[in-house]
Amino acid sequence: MASENHISQYSPRQRELFIQKSTRVAASYLRRAESLEDPPEALRPFFDVLGRIFVDLEDVPKPVGMKTVGTYCVMVPSELIWAAGAMPVRLCSGSYTAYTIGDDLVPRDACPLVKSVMGWEIGASPLYENCALMVIPVTCDCKKKLAGMLEQWKPTVTLHVPSSKERDADMAEYVRELYRLIPMLEEVTGRQVTSQSLAEALNQKGYAQYEMSRFLAYRQNNPPLLHGTQVMAVMNTFAYMPPLEWAECMRRLNDELEQRLERKQFAAKSNRPRILVTGSPIMYPNLKIPLLIEEMGGMLAADETCMGERALYDPLTVTDRSFDGMMRALAGRYTRPCTCPTFTDNRQRIFRIKQMIKDHQIQGVIYHVLRGCLVYDYEYPVLEEELEKEGIPIIRVESDYNEEDVEQLRIRIEAFIELLKLKQFSEQKARGTA
Amino acid sequence: MSYTIGLDGGSTYLKGALLKGRQVVETMVCSTGIDNNGSAEQMLGQLCQKAGIARSDIRYTMATGYSRKVLTVADDDISEITAHAYGVRVTAPKEYRPGMIIDIGGQDSKIIYLDSGYNIKNFTMNDKCAAGTGKFMEVAAQILETTIDQVGPLSLESTAPCDINSTCVVFAQSEIISLIARQFDRKDILAGMHISMAKRIVKMMKKSEKNGDILMTGGGALNVGIRKAFEEELMKDVYVASYPQFNGAIGAALIASERA
Repeated sequence: MASENHISQYSPRQRELFIQKSTRVAASYLRRAESLEDPPEALRPFFDVLGRIFVDLEDVPKPVGMKTVGTYCVMVPSELIWAAGAMPVRLCSGSYTAYTIGDDLVPRDACPLVKSVMGWEIGASPLYENCALMVIPVTCDCKKKLAGMLEQWKPTVTLHVPSSKERDADMAEYVRELYRLIPMLEEVTGRQVTSQSLAEALNQKGYAQYEMSRFLAYRQNNPPLLHGTQVMAVMNTFAYMPPLEWAECMRRLNDELEQRLERKQFAAKSNRPRILVTGSPIMYPNLKIPLLIEEMGGMLAADETCMGERALYDPLTVTDRSFDGMMRALAGRYTRPCTCPTFTDNRQRIFRIKQMIKDHQIQGVIYHVLRGCLVYDYEYPVLEEELEKEGIPIIRVESDYNEEDVEQLRIRIEAFIELLKLKQFSEQKARGTA
Repeated sequence: MSYTIGLDGGSTYLKGALLKGRQVVETMVCSTGIDNNGSAEQMLGQLCQKAGIARSDIRYTMATGYSRKVLTVADDDISEITAHAYGVRVTAPKEYRPGMIIDIGGQDSKIIYLDSGYNIKNFTMNDKCAAGTGKFMEVAAQILETTIDQVGPLSLESTAPCDINSTCVVFAQSEIISLIARQFDRKDILAGMHISMAKRIVKMMKKSEKNGDILMTGGGALNVGIRKAFEEELMKDVYVASYPQFNGAIGAALIASERA
């Protein structure tokens, strides 16, 4: 078991200043997301969860006495952790303040997400401190080295993710990896993963995904029923709430959206260019790009990111109800539809994005690359070429975890929105509807 | 035919263009100074005066550039990327059809890709660093005891351009000073500087872009040395827009004419 030594490197005064700054930044982004015009009432519990964890620095809302297991990727099956009687929490960090601490701990060219995670070793957040185990999928070099560093701080386990979905041997290896995880989870909780507990966890996730499928239908409405920045915040919260509670909050949100649709109470007019964001992870409070899009007059109509809709859009299908059948279904669900660039052949992501462009009536794509996030950067030119054929404009924006690049981002996003508006206008003129 | 004005509040200079329809009537430039809006207000008056029209004849004023949000004398504002893309509809030499615009401004450089209908397809910009921009040329001119308008012609006389490797304006400044100390000729230093600038900007470009001609805009395009360096780097012809320094302002005025 790793020690608490990491905390002693930082003075209480440093920790105090860290807390002041990080909570101030988290609160300001929450306020900006909340204050986009006319938010539905039912968003409140989602914002409250983010506020509780990142502004009040309290632990996640979990059942009394339950332990938490941290995960660093969307490819860790949360059902397995629930089946062992622990609560999964997502630890990928979007904190600029933690980034400044972590910047000294990892190489300059490492991605800001990993730097930010390391910064939390200052010992200010129960979300990290209370984790009994951390599960780190090896999806890129930074995550691999992160696993090595986190070992000094917490008990960790790496999860090997196949590099290709094409080869059965790779997929079989991933199933073995999931089996390997079970005794480690059982050791944390002292409870066994049984067929029954696994089936129960699968069912609970099913409720969340049912509400998610309802939600996606409202999400596609044009004019929009709510802002994409708020949707991204809601998607973030799935990583910090029990699935049934999340599903219940989603049910209320869906009901309110249904009423709003009947009343024709929209979040914005339909003339705002509908934009899809894809690329590197976007973790609260790092909402600067979604916020800039919507504050500059665009509509963030969909996202293809791993902290957004990617985690929840496709339900699990179990054909074989045996324990092994459920394990294989989980392995399939967490890799086959996944469009992470960790896979060597990721044409699937292009198809997925094209499908989303149709479903959500997308007019332009903003491709977000976190500095140093090579795997996502690799896929930009391919997507650019594909979308050019479809006549969908796309721009690449690079960002880091700080606010110094906001003006650079703003001018790019502003010009992109102007481009989309002019294109829309000339298309309408050509059709004779302007 | 109505009059419109485009104001381009850049980091270094404020540019104004008065258009009658699609025709450029007057242009003006002054230092941006610390009172952006005051300078813009004055410029509006002077443009009208030079053209012999009344302020009330101006149907619409559009601001662009770095300080566009504070130019309250304008009716609306537009990003400089859109403004430059529009500007070339007026400023591109007739026989050419621009597919790529290289805009060299005071503080940043942009590459804008256009489709055959002059619509923006994509763009890239440099980030925080001032190297590869007009400011870099000004600093170099000052150290080499010449003026900005002489930088280009002088560099053309060079037969053996120096190697300048620094990509940072501050480091390049000290590199230039050390080249002077080693008694390199001024024209060779300037030629080397243009090559290093062009290399840096070419890095931002999609070299595979084959559609249309390459057109330079912005104050930097007034420099023949940089144009030559671009041609050498790209191994393609590079053309200069008419009124390059006013391209943003002209574009803004042209957008204004659509609103007027």
